Amino acid sequence: MERKQRPTVVKSTHEILIDQLKTNLGHLSAVIEEQGKALFVEAGILGAQDVHEYTLEFLELFVMWLQAGSRIGARTPELAALEQFFSGFARQLQIRGARLETFVRYVQSLQRVLIEELEESEQYSFEQSREVLLLLARVFNQLVLDVFQAYLREKEQTIELQQEELRQTSTPITEIWDGVLTLPIIGSLDSSRAMIVMEKLLTRIEKERARVVVMDVTGVLAIDSQVSHYLIQMVRAIGLMGAEAILTGIRPDIARALTSLNIDLGNVTTRGTLSDGLKEAFRRLGIEVRVVARE
Amino acid sequence: MHLTPIGDGALLLEPGVALDPSEPDHYLTTILELLAERGCQRLIYDLRECVVVDEIYYGWLTRLASACRICGVEMVVANVQPAAAYTLARRLSDDPPFRCFLDVDRARCG
Repeated sequence: MERKQRPTVVKSTHEILIDQLKTNLGHLSAVIEEQGKALFVEAGILGAQDVHEYTLEFLELFVMWLQAGSRIGARTPELAALEQFFSGFARQLQIRGARLETFVRYVQSLQRVLIEELEESEQYSFEQSREVLLLLARVFNQLVLDVFQAYLREKEQTIELQQEELRQTSTPITEIWDGVLTLPIIGSLDSSRAMIVMEKLLTRIEKERARVVVMDVTGVLAIDSQVSHYLIQMVRAIGLMGAEAILTGIRPDIARALTSLNIDLGNVTTRGTLSDGLKEAFRRLGIEVRVVARE
Repeated sequence: MHLTPIGDGALLLEPGVALDPSEPDHYLTTILELLAERGCQRLIYDLRECVVVDEIYYGWLTRLASACRICGVEMVVANVQPAAAYTLARRLSDDPPFRCFLDVDRARCG
């Protein structure tokens, strides 16, 4: 088989890619768009017009990046623009419910299209083709990695926000009577949650001018020495604010565990149930709750 | 530092920002003398303006409470700010040697 004459001028990697794009821009654009449609339009993630616009934008930014010339390997503004495009694109896909792997498959398909075009052309030497392949692999891997890192960061932020929301909503402090606050604690009580609960509680005591706080721990699954320490701190903080604390809902198994841990709640007023705690709070305020006999 | 007799045998102490808690001896005699002079049974220490109660400040409070007790006067604290209550509660291993009240009115009647 007769081989074509190699060009006498040795072209750099980016020049080869620019040549290729110039020659086959229409074809490349069509193939990339087709790949995009297969991945996104058929799955109902993007419309055909969206894919068309994203394809054009990608090609435009890709050409701009190639035109950076000798600075192509460096972190140029053109590369930053390309990264920004992919980050925005990935975010749009996420918003529309696509999985990250769909995005990765799309980036791989872009890379594959460019490589296949290069393979079809026989005008470049093995070394030149290899250089182009390496450059494309490096850039696209970096782009995927950037997007993946951004995706992870966003996920972490979402989880943190959800945890914060859960913490805020899991400590409903209610003024059940004038000067009486109730605080049902549900779930586990770790350091950060204890901190939030205490801050919110002390602020509410000041705001409501509360005199008694009933803390109900019926919903706390286990109380170890650390949790009991937090509870004692809360009781002390309530006392420092000038209010009185009543601890209710300590289950028998928890009471047994506390004694085995040598934790002394001797200075803390305790009652078996929230109802008993409220009765005690009312008694301290001189409030009497009576059943009014019906006729 | 302001010392104001507020009736019912109580003296209100508003420390203000100029008070230096690291020098308790500067203030103790003045306060104790005034308490004796007025025949007060209760000193109400108002912490409204004090957001931070650190170790030195707490030391000053306990020293004053102790001196008052020796003179037959009860020192109580009013208006502990949430942030101060929070930090104190985390640091203390025992209950403080004075009673706390939400405000001065309650401290006077309590």
